[in-house]
Amino acid sequence: MTRQTRIALWGLLVPLAILALWQVAAMLQRTPLFPGPGKVALAIWANYPVILRELGITLLRAVVGFGLAAVTMIPLGIFLGRVRVIGRVLEPLMDMLATLPPPAIIPLVMLFAGTGDGAKVVIIAYAAAVPLLMNTYEASHSIHPMLSRVARSLHLSRFETMRLIDLPSSLPMIATGARLAIASSLLVSVTSEMLLATNGIGTFLQRSQETFKIDAGLAGIAFISLAGIIVNAGVFRLEKNWLFWHYRDQRPAE
Amino acid sequence: MTGILTASDVGKSYGSGDTRMAIIDGLNLSIAKGEFVSLVGPSGCGKTTLLMCLSGLLSPNLGKVGFKGQVVTAPPIGLSVVFQDYSRSLLPWKTNLDNVLFGMRRVTGMDAAQKKARALEILEAVGLPGFAGHYPWQVSGGMQQRVAIARGIASQSELLLLDEPLAAVDAQTRADMQDLLLDLAKRFDQTCVLVTHDVEEAVYMADRVLVLGPRPTRVVREIVVDLPKPRDQISTREAPAFLHARHEVMELIRSMRQGKALS
Repeated sequence: MTRQTRIALWGLLVPLAILALWQVAAMLQRTPLFPGPGKVALAIWANYPVILRELGITLLRAVVGFGLAAVTMIPLGIFLGRVRVIGRVLEPLMDMLATLPPPAIIPLVMLFAGTGDGAKVVIIAYAAAVPLLMNTYEASHSIHPMLSRVARSLHLSRFETMRLIDLPSSLPMIATGARLAIASSLLVSVTSEMLLATNGIGTFLQRSQETFKIDAGLAGIAFISLAGIIVNAGVFRLEKNWLFWHYRDQRPAE
Repeated sequence: MTGILTASDVGKSYGSGDTRMAIIDGLNLSIAKGEFVSLVGPSGCGKTTLLMCLSGLLSPNLGKVGFKGQVVTAPPIGLSVVFQDYSRSLLPWKTNLDNVLFGMRRVTGMDAAQKKARALEILEAVGLPGFAGHYPWQVSGGMQQRVAIARGIASQSELLLLDEPLAAVDAQTRADMQDLLLDLAKRFDQTCVLVTHDVEEAVYMADRVLVLGPRPTRVVREIVVDLPKPRDQISTREAPAFLHARHEVMELIRSMRQGKALS
């Protein structure tokens, strides 16, 4: 057994040990408010169709919100980085918005957009927009001046320069922004459902708690973490495929 | 003045008022088609600023730069720049072939297949057959600069402006690349303007050496290098005409540096 596999096994042992301790603690209690892993497993089995349906709704809204933010903020960030005057004028505003926690705008959005899908998507899009815009702008405006010279000496128009040079060279930082934005979208998607209760996994968690179905609530949480792990792994793969030229140091030269 | 590239009374300065710094003042030059001209001068004389003005990447405050009879206001078609910093001037997300093709976006009268054939031909000419599918970061510095030169030539270039293209490659590669550049200039009909601070390189490669004065710079002397072509790394460098030209340029630059030290 190599050192790596030993460490990996220990890494698996820790959650298993926690599960075991949890089970023992739950068996020592006689209250339905503290279910053990066994009960949660049963709750997963009993509730998984509902949980998957509700989680699907939540993820769909997160995807739509994130998508809206990506298609608007990435081009905007590239543009602001290239047209420096406008970028510099808007910088303080961007800094202000960056420090505002996204859920803080929920009441305001409710006022104008109600509590439906539209309102939630708007809030998610806002939450995703901030890290996407900040990272794209930062990347685009710190592009090495050499690349601008190359673009001009190859007779590229401004638009071509943004599309063919600024965008690809900003991608590594945009990817970092996208990771933050994805985490933020999921967070805000769930949070908005708790506050604007209609449907989705957030509402499911809220209802489970209100009706003392703690095991069902934990089952829901288990699915959210699973979804998070899958999404993260997917993003990681995309990054490896698209940004191989950026992570080249980790690859042997041919 | 006639010539493929001309500069008449070019002046360039940065800033204004007390902080105004003149870089170029009253500079004139004319490069004839097919010539290989080296520009040398003492360090910090404004060679790179001059090259930026000649290429249309910077606009001079005074005077005019002309390319093929047209006043240069932006980089003109037919003029390519090869930068010293090859690792930054190539796009790392594109293969060597795609980097060369990227320089051909404005080339007209060729379809995609013809462009590709032409790009491969030029890559072979610069000594990189078999590296078309590699990425720039997978090949050595000298090879990266060859890709950059190939990209310059591929863009329907008639004139190459070379900004210390060999300053960052190692000494052995450097000699090979000097001969390669001379060979490419002939083969692809390129007029070349080489900016360098290596006097030997300037003399070895050029038909004519223009010596620049200290800042604010202008052309202070023109030296015609009367040496047969093709040049040879060993015999050319031993020829009396080479040694004579080298002596003249070095003495001139030394006197300028001493003058600067005294003032």
